[in-house]
Amino acid sequence: MVSTHQSGGGVALATAKPFIAGGLVLAIGLMAIDGQGIRRWLSSARPQTAPGCEKIVQSNAQLSREQLAKLLVVPERDPKENVRKIVAEPYCSLPQLQVRSGVVSEREAYPMAWDPTVQLVILYENDEYAGYRFRFQ
Amino acid sequence: MAFYSRIPIRLRWLSRNFSLGLLLIGLTSCGGTTPAVPRQIVLKQSWEIESGDRVAGQLVTGSLGDISVRLEGIRLRAPFSGQVELASKGFHCIYFSTPEVPAYLFRYCGVRQPQLGPVQAGEAIGRSGNIHFATLRRQPDGAWAIVEPSDRVLERSLNQPSSGFRF
Repeated sequence: MVSTHQSGGGVALATAKPFIAGGLVLAIGLMAIDGQGIRRWLSSARPQTAPGCEKIVQSNAQLSREQLAKLLVVPERDPKENVRKIVAEPYCSLPQLQVRSGVVSEREAYPMAWDPTVQLVILYENDEYAGYRFRFQ
Repeated sequence: MAFYSRIPIRLRWLSRNFSLGLLLIGLTSCGGTTPAVPRQIVLKQSWEIESGDRVAGQLVTGSLGDISVRLEGIRLRAPFSGQVELASKGFHCIYFSTPEVPAYLFRYCGVRQPQLGPVQAGEAIGRSGNIHFATLRRQPDGAWAIVEPSDRVLERSLNQPSSGFRF
């Protein structure tokens, strides 16, 4: 009984072997032809979740060079809405933090359109723009 | 000279190469440690007595705006992933900055053997018996102002991070 079951499994494995080998050869071939393309496809298929994000607000949000140039001249303590007019909705919000006593800091992140591994983190306090920093992943 | 000529040639070759090796090790180890340039900032507040000053010949280790904490058996830790720099003024002071918290700079004084450069959240950044902690916020003119800190960042600087380190 046991030997019959084992031989059945052996037959199935023998049938599958050519398919496994064929799949492997195809994968190796594809990687050899266009490894970069596969890597790109894999990275685009996987959702890009930034470390530290608490909530994804706008998954397509990206900051262009023009938007960045405009943001860099916004003075600190300007109302948050002035900054939002330039940068629109963020990719994600980071968890709220209390750095100063009695003041809640809101942080929002924007990936750069030309390099999504670089993010701009903007900090607001009392609905006022406090500043920004670049974050490299 | 006569003694030197009596040393076998192979031994002389070995000793010469050993000296050269030592010299190379010395040079490369020096090359690895780039001198840290202390960070200089413009502070809005200016007081008569500040950290690093001397009064009656005695060193001032903390000043107005500092929260002093006695560390017992723990090391100072990076509250976030960021950068540690030496401060140009004060009693063994370092600045910690992080992209996680724009517009802020954290100053720790009384820190010995600081871990300068990029650090990961929770990494030990120095030893101390008593730290003096200050939170600085960037002003529109580019200067920094000491502000009243909450206990959150200080707490993160004193705790070993758990696996689920929260922001």
